[in-house]
This record gives sequence, C-alpha cells and structure tokens, in this order.
Amino acid sequence: MFRLLQTGAGIIIFAAGVAPLVGQPPQPQAPRPGRSFLISRDVPDRAAVERGQKIFVARCGFCHGSNANGGESGPDLVRSVLALDDEGGDKIGPVIRSGRPDKGMPAFALSDDQIKDVAAFLRSRQQAAIDRSTYTIQNIVTGDAKKGQAYFNGAGRCNTCHSPTGDLAKIATKYDPVALQSRLVYPRTQRPRRAEGPEPKTVPTLVTVTLASGQTITGRLEYIDDFDVALRDAAGDYHSFTRDAGVKVDVRDPLAAHEELLKKYTDDEMHDLVAYLETLK
Amino acid sequence: MKLRRLVIPVLAAACLSGQGLDPAKLLKLPVETWPTYNGDYSGRRFSPLSRINASNVTAMTLAWEYRINMGPGAEGDTSIKATPLEVNGVLYFTVPDHAWAVDARTGRQLWHYKWETHGGIHIGNRGFGMYGDWLYFETPDNYLICLNAKDGTERWHVEIADVKQEYFSTPAPIVVHNHIIVGVGGDSLDVPGYLEARDPETGQVQWRWNSTPRKGEFGADTWPNQEAMEHGGGMTWVPGTYDPELNLYYLGTGNPNPVMAGQGRKGDNLWTCSIVALNPDNGKLAWYFQASPHDTHDWDAAQTPVLIDGQINGQPRKLIAQASRNGYFFLLDRTNGKNLLSKPFIDLNWSKGVDAKGQPIPDPAKEPHTNGTLVIPASGGASNWPPPSFDPETGLFYVNSSSSYSLFYLTDIEDKPEGYGGRDSGVWSEVALKAIDYKTGQIRWSHEYGARPGGGAGILTTAGKLLFTGDPNGNFIAYDPATGRILWHSHLIANVSNGPMTYELDGQQYLLVGAGDSLYAFTVLH
Repeated sequence: MFRLLQTGAGIIIFAAGVAPLVGQPPQPQAPRPGRSFLISRDVPDRAAVERGQKIFVARCGFCHGSNANGGESGPDLVRSVLALDDEGGDKIGPVIRSGRPDKGMPAFALSDDQIKDVAAFLRSRQQAAIDRSTYTIQNIVTGDAKKGQAYFNGAGRCNTCHSPTGDLAKIATKYDPVALQSRLVYPRTQRPRRAEGPEPKTVPTLVTVTLASGQTITGRLEYIDDFDVALRDAAGDYHSFTRDAGVKVDVRDPLAAHEELLKKYTDDEMHDLVAYLETLK
Repeated sequence: MKLRRLVIPVLAAACLSGQGLDPAKLLKLPVETWPTYNGDYSGRRFSPLSRINASNVTAMTLAWEYRINMGPGAEGDTSIKATPLEVNGVLYFTVPDHAWAVDARTGRQLWHYKWETHGGIHIGNRGFGMYGDWLYFETPDNYLICLNAKDGTERWHVEIADVKQEYFSTPAPIVVHNHIIVGVGGDSLDVPGYLEARDPETGQVQWRWNSTPRKGEFGADTWPNQEAMEHGGGMTWVPGTYDPELNLYYLGTGNPNPVMAGQGRKGDNLWTCSIVALNPDNGKLAWYFQASPHDTHDWDAAQTPVLIDGQINGQPRKLIAQASRNGYFFLLDRTNGKNLLSKPFIDLNWSKGVDAKGQPIPDPAKEPHTNGTLVIPASGGASNWPPPSFDPETGLFYVNSSSSYSLFYLTDIEDKPEGYGGRDSGVWSEVALKAIDYKTGQIRWSHEYGARPGGGAGILTTAGKLLFTGDPNGNFIAYDPATGRILWHSHLIANVSNGPMTYELDGQQYLLVGAGDSLYAFTVLH
C-alpha cells in the first residue's frame, strides 16, 4: 500500500508504515519562515496599507476612529471577527457598499481597489496589535539623576566595581535607555529585540577545581551541572571533570553583587540609576 | 496488588484481539496502561510501579530511543511536550500537526499521521485523549482530529476555534464518560476563552463553558463592560483533573486579556486565572477560586490542579492543590472550593498578602508601567504547564519552580488597549526542584540548579521511592523523593521537554521521557 504526500517540490511516494497519513482540510496555508512566530497570515503590501490608511481616515475614521479601534458611533475593527475573517475585502466590501442602515452606517461607493487597500490597512492594524515583539517601549528616563548618583555611590555601592569615568564613561552613548535599564539590573540578559546598541559582552565567570590529589586548576567556567564541570585555562585549553566526592569546585561569579541588588531595588531606585547613567554621554 | 501484577500477563494474552482502551482503566492507577495525559484522573502522576526502585535504579539503562521525523516542510517547535499514552503495548504521542504510534517494548514506529496546517502558533502539543479504539488530538489551527488507533487513519476532523481570530490549540483532550473535553489557547488579540465537550463519535459540541461571563451573567460585575469581558481571554490550555465520586472536572484557567494592560478591564476579571470545578456532563460551574484577581503579568492559573486525598486536623479530606504560576501554592477543599492554604513557594514582590477568601491581593505599584517595573516572578511564572507530581507516600507536592525577575513595560496607554498592551524582558532566573508539604506549604527540600533559565520538565513519582524529572542542563535525573538526594542521571540530547511516564509490560518496567525530538525508554534489566 502506498500513499501520496504532496510537497512544494512535487509528489513523493512513501511506503505505508513510514508515510505520514495526510489530512486534507480545505485550502492549506502554512505559516511562512522569516517572520515573527506570532504572525501566521500574509503581511499586506506597505503601499496598499498607506493608500488604505488615507481612505480609512477620510471616510471611516470619523466613526471607527482613525486607528480603527472604535469610536463614538462605530465599532472596533482591529478585533472585529468580520474584519479578521476578511481576505482582500471579501467580507468588508459588501458591508462598506451596502452600509448597515439598522445600525446607522451609511453605504460608501468605494472601488474594488479602494476596498482592497482598506482591507490591507485593517490587516496591518490587526498585526500591529498581534505582534507584541514590535511594540514600542515609551520614555523610561523618568528618574532623578541626582538621587541615582547618590545611590550609585551610596546604598547601591556600585562604585565598588564601576566608575563613571572608567568602565561606564559614555555608557549612555553605547546603549539605549531600555538596554541600559536591563543591563544595570543584570548584565547577562535577554534584551528586547529592537533595542539599539552593540550585543552585550559576556562577563567571564572564574572557577577553580581542586582534585582529590590536591591539584588545582583555574580558568573560565565553560559548563557546570550537578555532575560535571568544565573550564578553559589561560592557555585556552579545555578541561572537564566529573564532580566525584573529593573534587572541590569554587565558582566566583563576578555578577554576584548584581544578583544581590536585584532582589533589593525599588523601582524608583532603578529608574533613578537609569537617569544617572543617561547623563554619562 | 502483588496478585494483580501476576495476573496481568495472563489477562493481556487473553485480550490480544483488542488494541482499544477499556474505559475502566481510566478509573485505576496506571500500571500496564497509561490511558490519559496524567496517567490517571487525579493529576498526581504517581505510579504504583516499583520494579525500578531506589535499590536498583543505579542499574537503569537505555532500552530504546525513538527520534521523530516530521518529513519535509516541518513547522515550528519540534519538542515532544506530549505525555505519551500507553495502551495494550502501544505508545501514542504528538507534536504540533503530527502524531505517532510506536511499539512500547521496542520503539518501533507503527504509524505517523500528518495534518496540513492552516497556520496558528506552533508552540507545542500536549498529546492525545483516547476513547475505545479512537484517538483525539488538537492542532495549532484549532481542529480536533479523531484517528483510528489501529493504523492512524483519520476518522474525522472538526474545527473548535477560529485561527483567524488568533486562537491556537495545544491541550491533550481529556475523556470523561462519553465526553471529549477540549480546550483552546491564544492571547494575541483578546479573544474569549472556553472549554467544550465534544461527541466521541461525531465531534459535535455537547456543551460549552465560557471562561468569562456574558452580559448579565453571574460574574459580569467583575468586568467594567460587555466589550471587555467578551475580549477578556481566560484560555483553557492545560488538561484538567477529575474526581469520579464528586463527578467534578477541575480546570485551571488562563489569564485575562489584554495581557499586560489592565486599565481597560478594571475588576477581578472572573473566571480568568482561576481554579474552577465543572460538571463534566453539562459544563455547569460548581465553584471557583481565583488565584490571581485582575492579573497583568501573564500569570495564568492553568497549572495542573492536583487531587489529594489527605488529612487535615486528623480528618480525611478531599483536597485539591496547585503550585500556581504567580508563585503561590494553594490548597482547597475540592468539594466546595474553600481555601485552606495560600503560601508563596518562591520569594515574590507583587502581592500585598491574601484576602479573606485566600485570594492574593495584587499590588498596583507592581503592575506594568511605561518606565518598567521589576517583578518576581517573570511572565513565564514561578511554575508553568510542565506537570507537577504528588507522592501520597511522602505527602509532598513536587514542582520545578523558577525564581525569575522581569522588567514589565506598559506600551499601550489607551483607555481601551488591544493585543498584549505591554511587553516584558526577562533579566534573571534561578531554577529549583521543590518539595512542598501540602498541609503547611513549607518547602521540605529544594534542589537548586543555579542562576539560569529553564524549568520545562515535568515530574513523575513512583512507589519505587523515586522521583524522575529533568534539570536545565539536559540531564534526566532520579531523586529520592523524601530527601532530594540524587540517585541516578543520564545526559540526553536536549532538556527533558515533557512529563516522564512509566508502564510495565511482560514484567518489565519502562521509564519513558521526551527530550527535544527524541523519546527515551529506560529500564532495569532482570
């Protein structure tokens, strides 16, 4: 017994037992690679979106709001089931042309192309709400720089390791405020996808392994779990050890002070520190 | 118990003609069969098997390994998050759009089914439900698919939610009586959540329970207006548990929408972030307990609510416990939802304590703000969907927990925000396996893995005095459940990505675990 598997490259024949059994719903539409995983439908053409926006603002915005998220007399179209169900104007077109007299919506004589453009604009508004990875973080420099400086040199003891004229000189030109806030809290971090500035440097963690024989070896920590530890020594050579009884492992985390502070900061202290670091330009 | 184990091979031989599931198995502890997502209805993930035990686990070795092959055009995350079912010597499991049957003794593939997708977020699939000869699973584009267990051929598919509204589905259906209980997910565009029972023969709707009220219904006064509650979220994305004596189905519900912007939905936002008890025959709500009133941090209360038959003040009690994503451990009376204990299992900074009903009181200062709010736990939570375990022999509830900080930003300051309305950026996390005394909420022991992200592993406990789970470093580990001492480990190709399960065939116990795209079966050879 053989079954057919339709692929982009044509039809491949598999022997039964190995072959996937293909379900056949109507009009398969696979998500496309190279775009946010949150967006699985086609992204509309930019020029069509811009044309559609002009039409929408002029003709529809008075009731539906210029961003299509609803107004005094017209419903939200960003989360509208009908607008989400639409493909190229096939659902919204008839509503635009006939109006909804029972709900006070007049008919609009838009052309086919104009309706397609309005549909493209609505899809772009929906996708802007759907794709949270593109949301813009607003101004976060709201703290008091003087208080931040006092915290830096006082309660936070940041000046134990850092200096505004040394490692932190011009730090505000290297990172945008969002990246700066994230890095000051903990420098090894998942940065917001759109943050500006260079990739953060990795701060090495040092480890010393003492073997049962008393021999010690020190280097940059490469890997550690409950069972094994690995490091790279000053010559760049790799060493790994099983953590048997008698093997002592001493990890020196240079970020221990950040970890400690992270559990103590108030949000105001954090915002004050950002404001202070923003003065280092 | 011993007698029963001796008899099983004989019974199995007598029943060789059937591959389907005897529904009576759903009401028993999982021995030679693992017939439902959690092994049985209780959500305890405690196995009575003990051939692999604390005295021989050091000799546990690989029996077989099976690596999935999705074929050309594979989409999305390929990690095995499903807990396989094991029925009459065959394992059944899924990843998004794909399903397999393999021989439970050898790992040999029997069949592979592939669904051609219409889209939807391909983030994971938690597996099958089974009714007689039929298997049921959900897809990212929200189809419920019924397959013939014998050969993987499709019997029918029905749509259970609209992918164009940004629903996507991941749960394993749970079979209670003749109801296929299915849930839905999706919080990108503020759609309302619901749970449905579907007919096992046709897939048609038997009942629907909405996780947010409609206008005029009980609970509507916890929302500011009709539009907010009908766009209020409350997804039903993790399989629930069931008490056959009380005939109640217990479900943890998802968070309210918009996820991080709460200004358009002032109020408690029922029944989001709640543990609810439903009649599985009609979907009627018996009681609710809200774990996170007015959540703004993506902390759903979808984590498995685990049934515990315990003792409180010397009295036998029907209890239910959850280690919730917001960092609280809750213990309730499962007959009426009355709270008995609310205690954090990590240090958290968002709550001002609990109210008279035992429900946490959120601190408005720790809601997302435009300039960033530093909150523990992060949006991924102190716990998440990976199944916990309760061991009735130790009286301890086990959970892989994450002490994680995140900066939460409010990005949509409109009166009526849409979508998430905010974003968060994780800054630090520390993962630990914790053993919680269910009566007091005290952490009896904790095994910390250090400052690192992770925590996607489920947990299994057994009568062999063993606890199995994964660490964030790709190790599959056996612990002593009483003390937290490590007894055995094996490094796998990836982190443990599902809930480990176990079964016994021909007098041989197998320990099965998924890690990335591979299933591993371990055993102790006799």
